Amino acid sequence: MNATSQPSLRRSDALDPSAPDNAEGGAVGLRLRALCSACRQVFGIPDYERYVQHRAERHPGGPLLTRRQFCDEKIARKYGQGGMRCC
Amino acid sequence: MSKMMSLLVWPGIAVLGAASFAALALGRGESVNAVWLVTAGLTVYLIAYRFYSKFIADRVLRLDDSRPTPALRHNDGLDYVPTNKWVLYGHHFAAIAGAGPLVGPVLAAQMGFLPGTLWILCGVVIAGAVQDFIVLFVSVRRDGKSLGEMIKMELGNVPGTLALVGVLAIMIIILAVLALVVVKALTGSPWGLFTIAATIPIALLMGVYMRVLRPGRVGEASAFGVVLLLLSIVLGQAVAEHPTWGPFFTLTGPQLAWALIGYGAVAASLPVWLMLAPRDYLSTFLKVGTIVALALGIYLVAPTLSMPATTRFIDGTGPVFSGKLFPFLFITIACGAVSGFHALISSGTTPKMIEKESHMRLIGFGGMLTESFVALMALTAACVLDPGIYFAMNAPGAVIGTTAAGAAEVISGWGFTITPELISQTARDIGESSILSRAGGAPTLAVGMAHILSQAVGGKAMQAFWYHFAILFEALFILTAVDAGTRVGRFMIQDMLGHVYKPLANTQSLGANVLGTALCVGLWGYFLYQGVVDPLGGINTLWQLFGVGNQMLAGIALLLCTSVLVKMKRERYVWVTLVPTAWLLITTLTAGVQKIFHPNPSIGFVALARKFSDAAAQGTVLAPAKSIEEMQRVAFNNYLDAAVCAFFVVLVVAMCIYALKICLQALRQASPTAHEIPALGGREGLPA
Repeated sequence: MNATSQPSLRRSDALDPSAPDNAEGGAVGLRLRALCSACRQVFGIPDYERYVQHRAERHPGGPLLTRRQFCDEKIARKYGQGGMRCC
Repeated sequence: MSKMMSLLVWPGIAVLGAASFAALALGRGESVNAVWLVTAGLTVYLIAYRFYSKFIADRVLRLDDSRPTPALRHNDGLDYVPTNKWVLYGHHFAAIAGAGPLVGPVLAAQMGFLPGTLWILCGVVIAGAVQDFIVLFVSVRRDGKSLGEMIKMELGNVPGTLALVGVLAIMIIILAVLALVVVKALTGSPWGLFTIAATIPIALLMGVYMRVLRPGRVGEASAFGVVLLLLSIVLGQAVAEHPTWGPFFTLTGPQLAWALIGYGAVAASLPVWLMLAPRDYLSTFLKVGTIVALALGIYLVAPTLSMPATTRFIDGTGPVFSGKLFPFLFITIACGAVSGFHALISSGTTPKMIEKESHMRLIGFGGMLTESFVALMALTAACVLDPGIYFAMNAPGAVIGTTAAGAAEVISGWGFTITPELISQTARDIGESSILSRAGGAPTLAVGMAHILSQAVGGKAMQAFWYHFAILFEALFILTAVDAGTRVGRFMIQDMLGHVYKPLANTQSLGANVLGTALCVGLWGYFLYQGVVDPLGGINTLWQLFGVGNQMLAGIALLLCTSVLVKMKRERYVWVTLVPTAWLLITTLTAGVQKIFHPNPSIGFVALARKFSDAAAQGTVLAPAKSIEEMQRVAFNNYLDAAVCAFFVVLVVAMCIYALKICLQALRQASPTAHEIPALGGREGLPA
């Protein structure tokens, strides 16, 4: 089944204060999103929005993984060969 | 302005630390408040971080923010991601903190609270945090390479291969010992087993939700996952009391061992998104949440330490583990003071996410100090318990018997007065049928946490809930570690088999996968089963074997750091890594040799094996074994443990010789010979 449609590359997909069509808008929404993003990173949860922002900044117009592809990639790397964890 | 602040704040912290230590030192003969212990620790961490880590960062390593880190050089949004310093600190801490710092200090509490506290504090500042910090530094300067690759680069191919074999051996032992902790905690505990079993369907549900139903929505899945987990704890009580389901979830040690072996094999073969990933999120949430709750609980409740500062068991006759304070304290508390396993994390994902070199001070050094704080709290939780209860829970059945009356008599004979009523009452309070001989740290810590947290929230009525919450929290991340560790072990075994027969290294091949998984599970399963049926306790043997292995790995990592410092021509500062290396080598080699050759059968593997095989040859059955076959099995297993221990000793001696050779070579050179990525080098010679 196709759970996600191919996302388009727009800067507004990302955490970008200058984006005019930022859905939540406002400083509070931005703060909240930054906080969620930080939590995701601390807990090792795939942060798709951050990846989209990264692609938009560095490779605008380039190919983009879908949310599911990205999550699969991240998880595969986390628990792959180097997925060492501590006692 | 900040200089002024600093002039006021740091002497203040020093005075507070001195006052805390004074309270600990002068409070002999009367009980000391746990707050002093924790505060003494915190001030040591602050001072060590402010001064010692700064010295290492500025003078020894000369961190340079103008050098691009691997994250900046390769920034691919997937592996290499420059990450905010505080976020990465949290991430790194969540990756290094496991069950280790919770188990070792609890076992070491048999010698009193002081020896463990002093080793945790001295060990982390001089050895543990230094190791984590410098390994991270060495890896960042080498494009985020792993420990094995770096040893190959700096010390040569043979040491690199030796280190990899050593890491695999330690992995096997740690998986066995962690699984054993779970078995000891859940034997005859239907409430505990039900809640742990419930995590499997909960994780599966979450896995399906966040991949199939709502891809990537981990937050939503985790929210209902946590709620279901809490419900399963509440429901567990009803299940335990149910006439049919209660006995169904009441398993013996060997049954649980087989269940875990089967679980490990199946879980490691499922796709990661289905069970491992969701369970890992749950366990990380619980881990961080519980650690914060415990810290708040200690300060809020301010319990007194019931355990004396030192007990008579520093003479080596302790029931929890045998052997004198030197060297056995230093291998019993591994994680929390210094842990070789961290060298694998510090050279794993973290170096690929460092944004600036200066951040490594907080992430490497600071992260380890935080883990040490967790170990200190675990020690505190064990020491607020009545010492009689502590020994009832941690001494093996062969020593204290299997009845509350018998145990109370033996333990009171040691000078820790306790009544059978108090033992049974404690078991009833936490909703269990017995607390006797639940060695392994987790149950003791759970009772200690229940003791502290129930005073903060819920009172006595909530004690059983908090106990099972604590068991769930530990078992959850142990099972995650078993699952993830089995996968890593499989990769390593396949990699090694590939050198013998190439197709076996193919991680895509089902046959090779099954073989790798079976070998890995078979190896740790063997040690687990041996530990479960070992009439002398199991934890006794396995934890020390793990301690020797883990500290040896730390020794190897520090030997690498030392060689790198010498090759960088920073030999002036080589004492920073040489002192902890020397101390680790002295303690672990002494402990390793004693574990093999000590004439006392309760310490030396060979002596115990001889005792049992000689008696078996004469046809006499020694307690606690019940038959000649059991005697022969005890003998064989002890020879095996001696061989594993000997392997660790030989390994570290060999690494020592290689490192020495490399250092002497480097000293003769006029210019640095370390294989760093040049400061101004761009991407040349690097993978894209």
